[in-house]
Amino acid sequence: AVPALEVPGAAMAAAPPPGPPLQYSLLLQHLVGERRQPRAWDPGALGGIPSPPKSEEQKAVERAMESCAFKAALACVGGFVLGGAFGVFTAGIDTNVGFDPKDPYRTPTAKEVLKDMGQRGISYAKNFAIVGAMFSCTECMVESYRGKSDWKNSVISGCITGGAIGFRAGLKAGVIGCGGFAAFSAAIDYYLR
Amino acid sequence: MTQACHRKCVPPHYKEAELSKGESVCLDRCVAKYLEVHERMGKKLTELSMQDEELLKRMQQGSGTA
Repeated sequence: AVPALEVPGAAMAAAPPPGPPLQYSLLLQHLVGERRQPRAWDPGALGGIPSPPKSEEQKAVERAMESCAFKAALACVGGFVLGGAFGVFTAGIDTNVGFDPKDPYRTPTAKEVLKDMGQRGISYAKNFAIVGAMFSCTECMVESYRGKSDWKNSVISGCITGGAIGFRAGLKAGVIGCGGFAAFSAAIDYYLR
Repeated sequence: MTQACHRKCVPPHYKEAELSKGESVCLDRCVAKYLEVHERMGKKLTELSMQDEELLKRMQQGSGTA
């Protein structure tokens, strides 16, 4: 690109010698104007490792996999699975089913326990899925907007997610949720990097 | 163009081999801006050089007849 811009500068600085008309204009048009020829940007020629050119389908698939929607969907499914496991696990630890006021020492039946585990698992799974999808989506959008990838992306998106969740319980809860979730995601980010 | 956009968009500390989303978005924008500026400057310079040529031709014709 640099040599192409230096030529018109030289043509303007020195008076063009008398010759066939429009000589330099022709040259310029071939270099930077309408009559530019398309070039094949071969990675081997530019100093990179030579690799076979990617087909259109491969490029489309890679573009889809890098998109924000796909990342959010991935986080949603991952959150669902993780939340389900977490819910089932905590239901096993923290039991409060089958409590009969007339007989406090009665052991709950297996059916009651399983039903409770299922309900808690599903409820935790849905919450985790929603939170995960929201966080991933906001982080991807913030990163696309800023054009950089550093620690601030996860802090900002953590604040947005926490704030959106807490805002349903009032403004103060929203602010606390923002700060807490931002700190949590900053800690996770620090640990992962 | 490669050097300019690499300097602007890719920070020197490498954490992973792949280009992250932010970096690819930045490179996209950088290349688009560079090519657009290149095209506009080329058109403007072509215009100016053609004006120069016209002026020179007129001067030559003027000095030829005089």
